Amino acid sequence: MKVKLWGTRGSVPSPGPETIRYGGNTSCVGVTLSDGSLLALDAGTGIRNLGLSLPDEPSRLHLLLTHLHLDHIQGLVFFAPCFRPQTEIVIWGPASPEASLRDRIARYISAPLSPVEVRELPCDVSFRSTPESEWEIGPARIRAASVSHRGPTLGYRIDDGDRSLAYIPDHEPALGADLEKLEDEWISGFGLAEGASLLIHDGQYADAEYPNHLGWGHSSLSHALSFARRTGVDRTVLFHHDPLHSDAQLDQLGEEARERWAAAGGDPGAIELGVEGAELDLRAATPEPSPVPAV
Amino acid sequence: MPTSTQKPLELILARNLMSALSTPAFLVDEGGLLVFYNEAAGMLLGKPWEELGTVGAQEWGALFGPFDDGGEPIPYDDLPLVKAVRDDRPAHAEFEIRSTDGAGHRVEVSAFPIQTPHGSRGAIAVFWPAADGADGASA
Repeated sequence: MKVKLWGTRGSVPSPGPETIRYGGNTSCVGVTLSDGSLLALDAGTGIRNLGLSLPDEPSRLHLLLTHLHLDHIQGLVFFAPCFRPQTEIVIWGPASPEASLRDRIARYISAPLSPVEVRELPCDVSFRSTPESEWEIGPARIRAASVSHRGPTLGYRIDDGDRSLAYIPDHEPALGADLEKLEDEWISGFGLAEGASLLIHDGQYADAEYPNHLGWGHSSLSHALSFARRTGVDRTVLFHHDPLHSDAQLDQLGEEARERWAAAGGDPGAIELGVEGAELDLRAATPEPSPVPAV
Repeated sequence: MPTSTQKPLELILARNLMSALSTPAFLVDEGGLLVFYNEAAGMLLGKPWEELGTVGAQEWGALFGPFDDGGEPIPYDDLPLVKAVRDDRPAHAEFEIRSTDGAGHRVEVSAFPIQTPHGSRGAIAVFWPAADGADGASA
């Protein structure tokens, strides 16, 4: 399984010279499974470049949406495969008692917000609410579960062979709770992330910023580190960077994260901040034990 | 794959909310198992949640009641929390419960199911002192 970060920013696109290294595109992650098939996680503005990277040939894509806030769907009408009749796109997302997934997405892909309607998209697109139980896409087993954020929001776990990715980009597990004291089963998202090879997790706020954003649905650095430690993941990418955070501020945040992780006895190399364009090979995430020399 | 049993988010959020309330509140899962009560409820019962732990409704009844006007235990199936879980309907009742020191407390109880797009996840019950204010020892 290979992972590419196409958009790491949260809330709103934030291009500019001060964000050029970590990137200004909003949430999108491409996942190449062991059979070569592709999953896209979220459709923030980062999905535009993902679409441009794909060959113009018949294909089937699965797009897994965590939720329908604009920073997670804004790139959908600029995703080139949507305009290719030979492409089949299956869009998964959270269920809601209010309206179907298609109808909720159509609020964005419709006038006056969009020049095209869902029914006008040339591709073969279908919409599916995620099931409660695990399901399969190609060689991968997929699991979705509701997590603590504003509005119906999912996190995903993707298991492919012995590698696993947990993707929880918008998450406030410490809302009204002390993550250090809660039992595992009472921690939002715990079951998705437990023991994952790679966790991509909300790390939007510095600790000093969090009190002014309590209940906004995102994590402080401390909360993200606690969640990573409690769930016992191999490697963590902090994600959904605040649009006000410059590259220099994110450098500082990353350094603090590594120092605190190391101070707690962890490998500082196992914590990093998501960088737009970064590619992560899960086969290399945790080195395999060296083979026993023949004697 | 993970090995832990994750509580549904709706129960997690309900517990987090209840933890911040000064109103006694109780939480059961979809099977009717009591999975949490808050600090205010612990003060009412005389035993904090951390000391009691998860108990079934039957065991709960043996510990704390509740009791009807005649002092008889109220049948399990008639408890508002059980009705809320079983029938997916809100339920209300007035009865007496007993704390660990034997003191009786007359309370009104409102219970409502926790509905999600995937069905019911459990129920919440909130306790209030009975409207007549008769919250005295009777044990």
